[in-house]
Amino acid sequence: MKRFLPLLLSVVFLSANSGRALAADLTPSQLEFFESKIRPILVDNCYKCHSVDAEKIKGGLLLDSRDGVLKGGDSGKVIVPGDPEASLLIKAVRYGDPDLQMPKNKKLPDDQIAALEQWVKMGAPDPRVATASSKTWTDNKTNHWAWQPIKRVPVPEVDDNGWSKTPVDKFIFAKLAEKGLQPNPPADKRTLIRRATFDLIGLPPTPEEVQAFLDDSSPDAFAKVVDRLLASPHYGERWGRHWLDVARYSDTKGQPRRNDEDNVNPFAWTYRDYVIRSFNEDKPYNRFVLEQIAADRLSTSRQNPTNLAALGFLTVGDHFMGMQNDIINDRIDVVAKGFLALTVTCARCHDHKFDPIPQKDYYSFHGIFASCVEPKLEPVVSPIKVTPAFETYHEQRDKLAFEQSNLETSLPKLRKNKDQEAFKEARRTLQRVVHDIAMLDLTNTAAPMHAMVLEDTVRGHDSPVFLRGDPGNRGELVPRRFLQMLSAPNRPIYTNGSGRLELAMAIASKNNPLTPRVMINRIWEHHFGEGFVPTPDDFGMMSEPPSHPELLDYLATQFMNNGWSVKKIHRLIMLSSVYQESATGNPRFAEIDPGNRLLWRANTRRLEFEPLRDSLLAIGGMLDTNLYGRPVQNRALDSNRRTIYNLVDRANIADVLVNFDFANPDMVTGARYQTTVPQQALYLMNNPLVINLAKKLVAMPDFLDRTDDESKLQFLYERIYQRLPEPVETQLGLEFVTSTQLLDDSTNALAAIPPPEQLNAKGKPVKHPVNNTPKKPVPLTAWQEYAQALLQANEASFVN
Amino acid sequence: MNPDEHKQVDLEDRFLTRRQFLQRAGMGFGALSLASLLGEGLLSVANAQEAEATLLPKTPPLPARAKHVVHIFAQGAPSHVDTWDYKPSLAKYDGQSIPGMEGVAMASPFTFSKKGKSGIEVSEVFPQMGEQVDDLCVIKSMYTDIPAHEVATIMMNTGSRLVRPSIGSWVLYGLGSENQNMPGFVSLRPGGPPPGGTANWQSSFLPGIYQGVSINTKVPTLNQLIENIRNPNTPLPEQRRQLDLVHKLNELHSQNLQKEAQLESRLEAFEMAFKMQTEATDAFDLNKEPQTVRDAYGRTSQGNQLLITRRLIERGVRFVQVWAGGWDHHQDLEEKLPDRAKDIDQPLAAFIRDLKQRGLFDSTLIVWGGEFGRKPVRDRNGGENPGRDHNAKAFTTILAGGGVRGGMTYGATDEFGSASVTDKVHVHDLHATILALLGFDHTKLTYRYNGRDFRLTETSGEIIKAVFA
Repeated sequence: MKRFLPLLLSVVFLSANSGRALAADLTPSQLEFFESKIRPILVDNCYKCHSVDAEKIKGGLLLDSRDGVLKGGDSGKVIVPGDPEASLLIKAVRYGDPDLQMPKNKKLPDDQIAALEQWVKMGAPDPRVATASSKTWTDNKTNHWAWQPIKRVPVPEVDDNGWSKTPVDKFIFAKLAEKGLQPNPPADKRTLIRRATFDLIGLPPTPEEVQAFLDDSSPDAFAKVVDRLLASPHYGERWGRHWLDVARYSDTKGQPRRNDEDNVNPFAWTYRDYVIRSFNEDKPYNRFVLEQIAADRLSTSRQNPTNLAALGFLTVGDHFMGMQNDIINDRIDVVAKGFLALTVTCARCHDHKFDPIPQKDYYSFHGIFASCVEPKLEPVVSPIKVTPAFETYHEQRDKLAFEQSNLETSLPKLRKNKDQEAFKEARRTLQRVVHDIAMLDLTNTAAPMHAMVLEDTVRGHDSPVFLRGDPGNRGELVPRRFLQMLSAPNRPIYTNGSGRLELAMAIASKNNPLTPRVMINRIWEHHFGEGFVPTPDDFGMMSEPPSHPELLDYLATQFMNNGWSVKKIHRLIMLSSVYQESATGNPRFAEIDPGNRLLWRANTRRLEFEPLRDSLLAIGGMLDTNLYGRPVQNRALDSNRRTIYNLVDRANIADVLVNFDFANPDMVTGARYQTTVPQQALYLMNNPLVINLAKKLVAMPDFLDRTDDESKLQFLYERIYQRLPEPVETQLGLEFVTSTQLLDDSTNALAAIPPPEQLNAKGKPVKHPVNNTPKKPVPLTAWQEYAQALLQANEASFVN
Repeated sequence: MNPDEHKQVDLEDRFLTRRQFLQRAGMGFGALSLASLLGEGLLSVANAQEAEATLLPKTPPLPARAKHVVHIFAQGAPSHVDTWDYKPSLAKYDGQSIPGMEGVAMASPFTFSKKGKSGIEVSEVFPQMGEQVDDLCVIKSMYTDIPAHEVATIMMNTGSRLVRPSIGSWVLYGLGSENQNMPGFVSLRPGGPPPGGTANWQSSFLPGIYQGVSINTKVPTLNQLIENIRNPNTPLPEQRRQLDLVHKLNELHSQNLQKEAQLESRLEAFEMAFKMQTEATDAFDLNKEPQTVRDAYGRTSQGNQLLITRRLIERGVRFVQVWAGGWDHHQDLEEKLPDRAKDIDQPLAAFIRDLKQRGLFDSTLIVWGGEFGRKPVRDRNGGENPGRDHNAKAFTTILAGGGVRGGMTYGATDEFGSASVTDKVHVHDLHATILALLGFDHTKLTYRYNGRDFRLTETSGEIIKAVFA
């Protein structure tokens, strides 16, 4: 295949070779010192007058390159390497001489002056090469791996004794062998099916599924498991949730516009369902990208209007009280980080500090999104069935809408009349009506589905650069177009409406190396616990280089060559030996590769809250397996539906989600935090859902039918951990159950904590409210308590 | 495996599972931030310990004057010219236009008098706080960016109007907590969420353990204060036995696995959770206070909040945010403002006296103030009973305890209180000063996110050294 790889040809290399030599001259600690201490001081305080981009270069002095610094300015040399006392620059920043004080407006803080002194003393190590203008970047910026074309790498030849099952393994083995490491032996079948099932559908395998896999001795037994799981509709619920983390999904606006907007997005869920459905259908990823940026401009959306819901990707963000520039910034952020792992929004106020993203590029994107609007009436994307329920809904809605429009008309008049009370009252009523409409749409199942679309304005228009990010300080207009760093020379200017469709096509293009790499990295991360690049939303200069760059490119190529099928990538990865390794430790290997970056073993991974809670429901046979639909409004998260269907309120996230490191819906979250806090333990110790599950488990007929304790114990192990207990575990369990049964008779007293004093509105203590007397608690039986202990133990919260 | 070898492996595991954290943390410990910036693999044990993403107490890099912070948020924007910033000229020009301002001057309906040895002028609406004025540092020259409640409230708590970590999260990140059985950052609110909601105590891109635990002090029962704090079925001794079993199960589970810090830290988390059940509920149980103390604070909503606050501070909680709002007086200022002042006057004065008695005053920095101030002119919408409109250019914030000099004022507004003019203090400056009192250089308490080192004070912030004791 012939591909035009236009990357970065536009960049002018000035003294690129000497640049390399310079950088190489510096020791890592010198480079680090310069980058962390010196460059920021110079950029912040000196470049304004002493760089090639300065409006007027003062004193003939350039401080934006090593040559410039060494050459000095009109007053001669400004530094003498190694001798701060003889250096004019140091003299100037010390403010000792009234005639020579720099920076002019304000003396630098002492620590910065000290840093400059130290730098000169070190000999002024400086990696910077001279540049012609801001359009030119140093070669390390242009050569950064992430924006190079995807390489077609030959699969390495390895002598692995038949370990490799797929080309993926050969790449892995080659790296392991380099370090003298060997892959772990394969995990046992029970571990493997548990791992695969949680990975793909976010639930544990049923005992029957485990048994079927154990009984299947055919060579493709595991492939059958993988295929079954990929075909499960629950697959989309698991992988859709990963994507919703990236899409900063929420059912609420966070900070709605005052007065005319409610906090609730009644139809955000149509985007959530679109995402789940897309994963289930294995929608080609490039199509998935196109739809989420520009579904309204695709002809396919006419045949299948539900695809319009894809635009929720852009519109489910915070509303920032209606502040348009913040909304646009949020959209640029989700597009750039989500698809390209680029922090384009860092260039809102100035050129990107690390990556080759000029501020102008930010405003090229700004122009695109400034040329879009959310229509007041969102399109209906489900067929309307005129049922009695629909008619009732319609009637209610019309009434409210009528009320709304009346109030909206009367408000300006009331304001004019200076009737404060009436005005305020009307405004309050309006807010209530707007809220009622939103809630009606959100909850009434007869309400037709709407898509949260974005549309182009009649004429697209370019945005000016906001100098220092200040909308009141406008610079030149910049055309709407794609990022310079990912474009050929003569970047096309977008003319088709807002340019959103053209942007979408540029992102989904095979010539764009970031889009497939970024997605492959996300998929890999959710199979292994960490991506090739540990920062899935930032592939920029500040990110760690990939652990397996060749494999990343190999997979990216496979991805594109196989119709951007995500499921085919899962299959390729999971049928590889590296996926099937055991998690057993090896002290010697741990010394060589303690972080297991090279994957000599499987990682032990903690379940996120969704699979943890869903698995509790599944283990207890309580899980409601219905797919899709309106969000469940349940802050306590004790409904039986899968957690992904619970309403996400970005302004007020449920405590339990926060405690379990749920993705913050205000930012793109490719990798969740993994904190371990006591509130997580409290959940497993005390939450009624967990306690009820323990009760349910030991009330199951299958449990009750078993007569001996050992067999009861086996039932619990199979149910909760999908394996049989080891003898020592059996012994431990039997001891606990027996001793608890003895205790059951003797102790029954709850260490009661007295309720706090309550106050009424006047601050007077309230005497025992009648409806709040705690019921006498019933202590758990020995078996219930034991079952709950199994649920609290690490094995229930981790996958190995 | 010999014991040393085991230790080695364990150590590296601990370190590496924290790798993500280490790469981001900057607390002003030179060696650490350098190493973390370089992404170097081998840090000393001490540094790895210090950089751990836990709530264990940490020593700040610089000498500290305060160890705890209590931020009483007078949300709604109290009128400074009616409380702490006396402007006689307003009486002189009452009803007349004043230069450079639209509308007519509105004299304060309240009288001011000199209080304490310092003779600082205090409005009659704060009689008890007036008695404590020699303990207070009154910053009269505050200003902020935007005079809109929600934005400015979030700004005061996070230093930004975007999604950023709150000051409490930064402090907890820098200092950890002195009590592992309690949340380290607690936000108390008497009812529903304040404007801005969770944004005011969020950890944002800092790890979730640094997020404030928001507690509605109006909920009827103790076990609603912290989710899942009580077990409805299992008595504590029995739960102890159950927990011991869990630990044994975990030990068996991890036998064949690589030693993982994540697995091991769960043990600590369960133990802390177990202790929290009694200790946290105990902290909120005001029935354990003598009647005299309860009376001193006043048995009001704010009295209770501040008494809870004292119980939290005593237990080593690092940062307590106390919501005491309702100050948005566009009209009826004369009638309504004194009520809000009364809400907090007695409780706060009692709180200060109580902390002094218990020797906690010097180590606890108290901050009282709103998100912005108000205009010296009548609010045009005020009608017959006027109030004042929003003003981002001037307001008063009060500091006390925690290494702050009492009985002083700092900075000044112009003749009418319309704008801060002398020794102006921006929100970032206040934040820089609070961090300095806690032993941090605000430019070095950083966290790397999206390739950039973020800090509370963004790109500015001047420490107001004049307020240091």
